[in-house]
Amino acid sequence: MTAMLNETATPQRPKFFTADRLLRPETTLIAVIVLIGIATAARNPNFLNVGNLTDIARAAVIYFVMACGAALLMIGGGLDFSVGAVFTLGGISAAWLMQAGLPWPLAIVGGLVVGLLAGYINSQVIARLHVPPIIATLGTFFIFTGLSVQLTGGQDIVPLPTAFQRIGQGAVLGVPFVVIYAIVIGAMFWFLLEHTPFGIEVRAVGGNRKAAIANGLRVARIETGLYLLAGLTAALAGIIYAARVGSGQVSAGGSSVTLSVVTAVLIGGVSLLGGLGSITGVAVGAILLSEIDNALIVAAVPPQYNTIVVGVILIAAVAIDHLRRERLYRVRR
Amino acid sequence: MSLTGEVATAAAGERASMPALELRGVGKSFGQVRALARVDLAAFAGEIHCIVGDNGAGKSTTLKILSGIYQPDAGDMRIGGATVALRDAAAAHDFGIAVVHQDLALVECLDVATNMALGDIPRRGRFLLDRPRMEAEAGKVLSDLKIRVGSVRTQIGLLSGGERQIVAIARAVRMNLPIILLDEPTAALGVRETAHVGDILEDLRRQGRTVICISHDLEFVFAHADRITVMRLGNSVATRQRADTSRDEIVGLITGSISRAPDPATASR
Repeated sequence: MTAMLNETATPQRPKFFTADRLLRPETTLIAVIVLIGIATAARNPNFLNVGNLTDIARAAVIYFVMACGAALLMIGGGLDFSVGAVFTLGGISAAWLMQAGLPWPLAIVGGLVVGLLAGYINSQVIARLHVPPIIATLGTFFIFTGLSVQLTGGQDIVPLPTAFQRIGQGAVLGVPFVVIYAIVIGAMFWFLLEHTPFGIEVRAVGGNRKAAIANGLRVARIETGLYLLAGLTAALAGIIYAARVGSGQVSAGGSSVTLSVVTAVLIGGVSLLGGLGSITGVAVGAILLSEIDNALIVAAVPPQYNTIVVGVILIAAVAIDHLRRERLYRVRR
Repeated sequence: MSLTGEVATAAAGERASMPALELRGVGKSFGQVRALARVDLAAFAGEIHCIVGDNGAGKSTTLKILSGIYQPDAGDMRIGGATVALRDAAAAHDFGIAVVHQDLALVECLDVATNMALGDIPRRGRFLLDRPRMEAEAGKVLSDLKIRVGSVRTQIGLLSGGERQIVAIARAVRMNLPIILLDEPTAALGVRETAHVGDILEDLRRQGRTVICISHDLEFVFAHADRITVMRLGNSVATRQRADTSRDEIVGLITGSISRAPDPATASR
C-alpha cells in the first residue's frame, strides 16, 4: 500500500502533448492569436512587419503590467475596477512631480507611492466599511478620476524630461525597453504566485476564503497586500505610458482601460470566483487584446467590430473555462 | 514548538493531573441567540474525549471557541492550566491546537499536499516555497496513516467526500500538535473508513496527545472514547468515563430524560 502511494506520488515524466496541456487556456488563446494573425496578414501583409509587431507588443505591455496586479487580486477573490483611474493618477502624479522640479527617478517613486496609497484606500473601504469590492472600487474609480482632473486642471502635463521619456521610448537591439519591463515584472509576479507561500495563500483565500481563515491564514493582511499590488502595477503602467507618450495625460486611463485589463485577466483564464489562473495565461490574454486592437486597424475594419470581437472572445473564453472546469470537477461524492 | 515537547514527556500513558485543555463556565451569544449558556470541559493528555449532543446543543460552537474562530463572551479557556485568549485560528495553532472542521476547510482548487500544508507552509529561506518538501511531508503522513488518495498532487475538488474527510484528518495529524479537535470526523465515511479513523485517533492517544472529538455516532464514541461529555441546550450537562456509563444513560442525558447529575468521577477530582 505504501509502495503504491509512493509510486503514484512521484511525478511521471510529462509528455509534451498531454490532454491537460492542450486543454489549458493558454493553448486555445495562442491558437486564436495565430488565426487572427493569419487572417489579418491575408488582408494586409504589413501586419507582419517587425515595426507593427513591435507596436502590438508595446501596447500589450501596458495591459499586461496592470493585469499582473489585477490578476493576482482576482485569483485572491478580489476585484479592482479603479485600476483605470489609478493608471491615470499614477502617470499624472509622476508628471506633476517632475514639473514641480523633482528629479525624474524620485517622481517615479512618488507616482508609485500614489498607486500604493490608492490600493490601500481600496482595501480599507472594503475591509472596514464592508463595501463589496466591485462597488468600493467603482466608487474610488470616480474619486481617483476626479483627483486627476483636480491635480491638472484638466490639462495634460507637458513637457516631460527627455531622460524620463527615454525609459518609455528607448530600445535595445530592437527590443523596446517597455517590453523588457513587462517581462521582468511578469517574471516577478509569476514567481510570487507559483513559488512563494504568499502565492499559495492567495489561491487559498480566493479558492475558499472560509477555509483559509479556519486554517489560520491572516486573510485580512493578504487581501490588503493584493490591493496594494493592484494599485502599484496600475500606477506603474500609468508611469510607463506617460514616458512612452511623453506627457501626463488626464484622459490616458478611464473606464475603457479598467475594462480592458479585467477582460485580459478573464480571457487569460483567471476565474472571477478566485483561486485559479496563471500569469502566463494573463500575458497571452493581454497580447490577444492588443493584437485585436491592432489587427482591426491594419485590416481597415470599422472600429465597432473591435468591441464586438472583444465581447465575443470574452464570453467564449469564460464559457469554455466553465466547461473545462465542470469536466475537471465532476463531483464524485 | 515547545508545547509538543512537553506533551511528549507526559506521554508515558498515565494522565497528567492538569487538564491539557479546559473550558470553565464558557458562554457565547450571537445577538439575541444564546448558543452556549455554560460549558465546562476538561480534556487531558493521552485521552480521547468525545462530545455528544443533539443538533443545536452547542457542540460546534464549543469547538469553534476551542479553535479560536469564535471568542467566548463569558468564562475562561485554559491550556496547560494557563488562561488564554485566542484571537483567531492562527493563535490556536500557535498554542498547539490542530482542528478538523466539520466543513473540512479544504480549498478545492489546490492539491492534497498544498491543502495539508496550509497555515504552515514549508519554506526555503524566508520567502521561498519548498514544494518538494511539502509534497514529501504530505506523502509521508499519508503513508504513515495508511491513507490512499492517489497522488499528493491531486486537486481536492477531484476527491470524494470520504477522501476529503481523510485528507482533512491527515492535515491535522501533519501539524504534529499536542491537541487535536475533530468535528464529526466520520460523518462522510463508510464502515471501514470509520474504523480507520478510530485507529488513527487511538494512535494519537498512544502518543500522549489530547484528542477532542465531536460525534453523532454513538457506536464510534463507545468504541474509542475514554470520556464522554454530553451537551444539551448550550450547557455541558455531564461528563462520564466510558467504562462507567452506558448507551442508555448517554442517550438519556442527550435527550434530557435523565436530568443533569453529578458524576462521581469528576466530583472527587
